[in-house]
Amino acid sequence: MEIADRAVYDETGQHAEDATLTALVDQYAATLYRVAFSVLRNASDAEDAVQETFLRVLRHRGTLGEIRDHRVWLIRIVWNIVLDRKRRAKTRPETDDVAELARVLPAGGLNAEQRAAAVQYHAHVLACVDQLPTKEREVLVLSAFEELSSVEISSVLGITESSVRSRLFRARNLMAGLLQHSRSIR
Amino acid sequence: MNFSTQNNASIHYGASATGEETLRLIAGLPAPKLLEERVKANLNSAARTARILRWPAPLVRSQGWMHSIAARSAAAAAIVFVVAGGSWGVYSRVQPALPTNVILMPLRTVPSNGFSSAGAIRTPQTLNGSVVAHPSAVMPRQNKPASKSANQTTAKSRQSRRAVTDARE
Repeated sequence: MEIADRAVYDETGQHAEDATLTALVDQYAATLYRVAFSVLRNASDAEDAVQETFLRVLRHRGTLGEIRDHRVWLIRIVWNIVLDRKRRAKTRPETDDVAELARVLPAGGLNAEQRAAAVQYHAHVLACVDQLPTKEREVLVLSAFEELSSVEISSVLGITESSVRSRLFRARNLMAGLLQHSRSIR
Repeated sequence: MNFSTQNNASIHYGASATGEETLRLIAGLPAPKLLEERVKANLNSAARTARILRWPAPLVRSQGWMHSIAARSAAAAAIVFVVAGGSWGVYSRVQPALPTNVILMPLRTVPSNGFSSAGAIRTPQTLNGSVVAHPSAVMPRQNKPASKSANQTTAKSRQSRRAVTDARE
């Protein structure tokens, strides 16, 4: 029976795709969440972005076998999703970022006053990051992930590796200038 | 990857001076607990709803009948035939509008003397005869020759009267 054989084959293939998808969730959901949180800076938004990423993968699970590097592919998907969400979302007040940082940052043996000062400092740094040009900001945010090489960053952003390095150099210079300027004002 | 070894900027300023310390801190935050479980549950529910609308497996898979070249060609030919037939049907029924060649004719007033044109579209003007524009304008012209003749008759009668009187004398 040819049809029965095909049905068995389809069932087997479907189970294999499901198993691959489950393995991808187990392996990369946390990484994708951190990438999403670094852009959105909101826990629930970041989790929504991760969910949407895997839903897109589910829709195209027939092509999973053609993907060489699943990690970079998934990071690219979540990166596009979070950028799209960030673009569509209204600008949130800085106080929201401070409150979210105070909630998620580890205490690290600091007392309440030191912790509040650390949160304020980090929020200020993030505000300076937001002032950077888009291209430089994207490279700077992705370079903070230790597990991403410059080649992987270039494939996520769709640019060359030399562009990644030059943009990162400019971003660091701009950030240093912004932070120094704010210190001199204080 | 450590970018600080590749760039002079980070060596010059340091990670804290460029704010990368903060970004690394955020990039290293742990994911919420049971994130994977929630994602899997969402995927399972989405896959279940998607399977309701799924095509039968023999139609979808690579070994399905639709993937044979003959079936694809037949389907393409059928589509072309239907589209061409429909177009020809519409074309053959709808005639293009001819260019209009209409001359506007002046409205004819029905003569009040009891005669009608009997539905004739065009009647020669000779039947109607010459039309007098205004009677008052025509009347003096008719009187002038009459007065001339009257004058001539009076002159002739005077002459005849003179001749008669001359003859009597």
